[in-house]
Amino acid sequence: MAYKKRAFMFGYSKSSSFVAQQLSYENLYLTLVLSDDEAYKKAQDDGYIDIKKIDITNDEELKELEVKEDDYLVCVLDDNHYNVFLTLSLHALFPKTVIIALSDSMHTTQKLKIAGAKHIIDLYEVSVNRLYNIINKPVTTKLIERLFSPNEEFSFKEIVIPKGSPIDGIMVDNFNFEEYKVIMVGMIDKRLSNKFLFVTSGVENHFDSGDTIVCIGYHEDLDRFEKFVNRLC
Amino acid sequence: MLKKLILKFAFFLHTSKRYNRIKDIVKDFLLNPDYKYKKYFDIFMILLIVSSVAILVYEVKHTMPPWVDFFDLYVVTLVFTIEYVARVWVHNSWSKEIVKAHGEANFLKKPFSLWEASRGVFKSKIFYLLTPAALIDLLAILPAYRPLRVLRIFVLFRVFKLLRYTKSIHQFVEVLATKKFELFTLLFLLLFIVFTAGIAIYVFEEKGNPQITSLFDGLYWALITISTVGYGDISPVTIEGRVISMLVIISGIAIISFVTSVIVSSFSEKLSELKDIRLVEEINKRDEFMILCGYGQMTRMFLKNYAQEFKNNYIIIEKDKNKVEDAFKEGYRVIHEDASRHDVISKFNIEYSTITLFALTGSDISNIYIILNAKALSKDIKVIARATNESIAYKCRLAGANHVVRPRILANKILLTAIIQPVMYQAIYAILTGKHLAQLDEVMLSEHQKMVGLKIEEIDFKHYKLLFIGIQRGVKGEFVFNPDKRRILNDKDILLLMGREASILYFKNLFQGINYGI
Repeated sequence: MAYKKRAFMFGYSKSSSFVAQQLSYENLYLTLVLSDDEAYKKAQDDGYIDIKKIDITNDEELKELEVKEDDYLVCVLDDNHYNVFLTLSLHALFPKTVIIALSDSMHTTQKLKIAGAKHIIDLYEVSVNRLYNIINKPVTTKLIERLFSPNEEFSFKEIVIPKGSPIDGIMVDNFNFEEYKVIMVGMIDKRLSNKFLFVTSGVENHFDSGDTIVCIGYHEDLDRFEKFVNRLC
Repeated sequence: MLKKLILKFAFFLHTSKRYNRIKDIVKDFLLNPDYKYKKYFDIFMILLIVSSVAILVYEVKHTMPPWVDFFDLYVVTLVFTIEYVARVWVHNSWSKEIVKAHGEANFLKKPFSLWEASRGVFKSKIFYLLTPAALIDLLAILPAYRPLRVLRIFVLFRVFKLLRYTKSIHQFVEVLATKKFELFTLLFLLLFIVFTAGIAIYVFEEKGNPQITSLFDGLYWALITISTVGYGDISPVTIEGRVISMLVIISGIAIISFVTSVIVSSFSEKLSELKDIRLVEEINKRDEFMILCGYGQMTRMFLKNYAQEFKNNYIIIEKDKNKVEDAFKEGYRVIHEDASRHDVISKFNIEYSTITLFALTGSDISNIYIILNAKALSKDIKVIARATNESIAYKCRLAGANHVVRPRILANKILLTAIIQPVMYQAIYAILTGKHLAQLDEVMLSEHQKMVGLKIEEIDFKHYKLLFIGIQRGVKGEFVFNPDKRRILNDKDILLLMGREASILYFKNLFQGINYGI
């Protein structure tokens, strides 16, 4: 089976096992990199095949992992000190590879950022905003709950515009999303940068092939819209 | 016949909604520190007391205008009398006891004795009348009796009434009461020395010292000397008398030092407790506030992001002393208590305030206990809890939590999106963390009535750089995602918009107020 991408996940605890499990369902080759026996045994018991047991503080052993530029490095070690150290080591060894790290304190988040993690998921930042929404924005809370519920009939969708798509070359403001009953949240305009631009940011963009757009809508509407975008003229 | 009438009257009082409502209001004004209007009553009473004492002092050298005399004699005294009677009235309920005793007698088929049933109530009222607070209230009314001028001095008892209305004096007395044993021991020692020294100086000096002619002179001298005041009007002339003086002065210094150290130590012991009491009392005066249980990472971050917005409408309960100190250093409002204890949550003004309680401790068991604790006290307390996994979240909901937040599960989902759908991750993370670029906000049309009656398509959201996501019909209505744009906006609708913070604020300001023109 040809995998789209490869991910190295450093750490395998009770909480991060969910991520490993979900990743294994995707078209993604997952390698678990562990340094302690207990986690190693648990991962083996859970049925993972590619598990590497190395000393994560040793650069030579990290080098042997043969990480490529388009791989993902996921740092989810329970110990913050090790997680930051590992991020720094990985960034030094593989500067162009995307590092995603989990943080459980605001101080660690800052350190991970300095250490070179591209995406840092702060365990509490999201929850704290949710607490705020619960007391101040009940409708927002409802929408977010429904967007992230697996059973809900509407969600987000990421669509890459192919060459020759009917929307290729059209100004964003000129396209009527209403016709497809979807809401476009934002996009990555390859011409400008790799940064996600919200549609509300006020920048005037046009759709080009290779751009990625993110929409919210009912599943069937999103599928209909995706089909339309992928229809070649 | 009379017994029947009295019984009928008791039943009438017991069942009369109006009578009970009035009694409850009076009780709240007099006794309920959480009642929001009590502070105004307290201030009124303090002003009356201060004005009464000021009149007493002023009239020593001046003649009072008749209206001032009238005010002092009738108004102040009348208010104090009404207050005195009201306190006796609300102390307990005669009608309730009568009805209860009558019910029991009927149930047991035994004869009902009106006197037996009333006796307990009256006894309790008499006990109340003999309490120091009630006696002060009574003595504060007496100055109104003008034929006996000496009674004017009882105006000073009105000052003692301040004990009821000023919390700091009340707390000072309470702190001293905790060292009752030590203070009484020192008082007895003081009296012992004063009597012994007074008698000794009288015995030794009575013959040779013209200033000491009686035992009272001896006792007076001993007290003035031991207190280190030493007026100098009486001084010993014999060797024996001077030796006694030296001993009395030394013991006086020792006793004063003891008393000072006892008072200081009792205050330092009670200081943090007093601070906590003050914080709770202060927050209880608010109509709406939050109780944050636990000062961990989550509470820390929550307050770091939103404390300014919440102003002082929150209080943290933390049982770890070190964490309490940390929170205090950060300038947060924190008390050192265990939120899982029933008496801790019951200190808050559950009856009159809208409370949102956050169970955010690091322990799932503690959080569940806190939820149960809060819900057992009142179902109206809105509880938001933190849980580590789905099974705990389910238990939290069973315990009565209105919302459950699972930080690790949320973070894992986002982590997963970051790997599988990296573009979408950026959008989702910004929305979930409420970044200023992609804030989701609600516009309540009841506050922005200029939009009422318009069709959704008539509002150019794009022009304001906003994204219209959906609408909720009324506070408890159904949320409709991306509705038909021909829909007409109603008074109670809530619009859900996304955009920059500045765009949302601008939009809200623009549509604030009532629509007169459109």
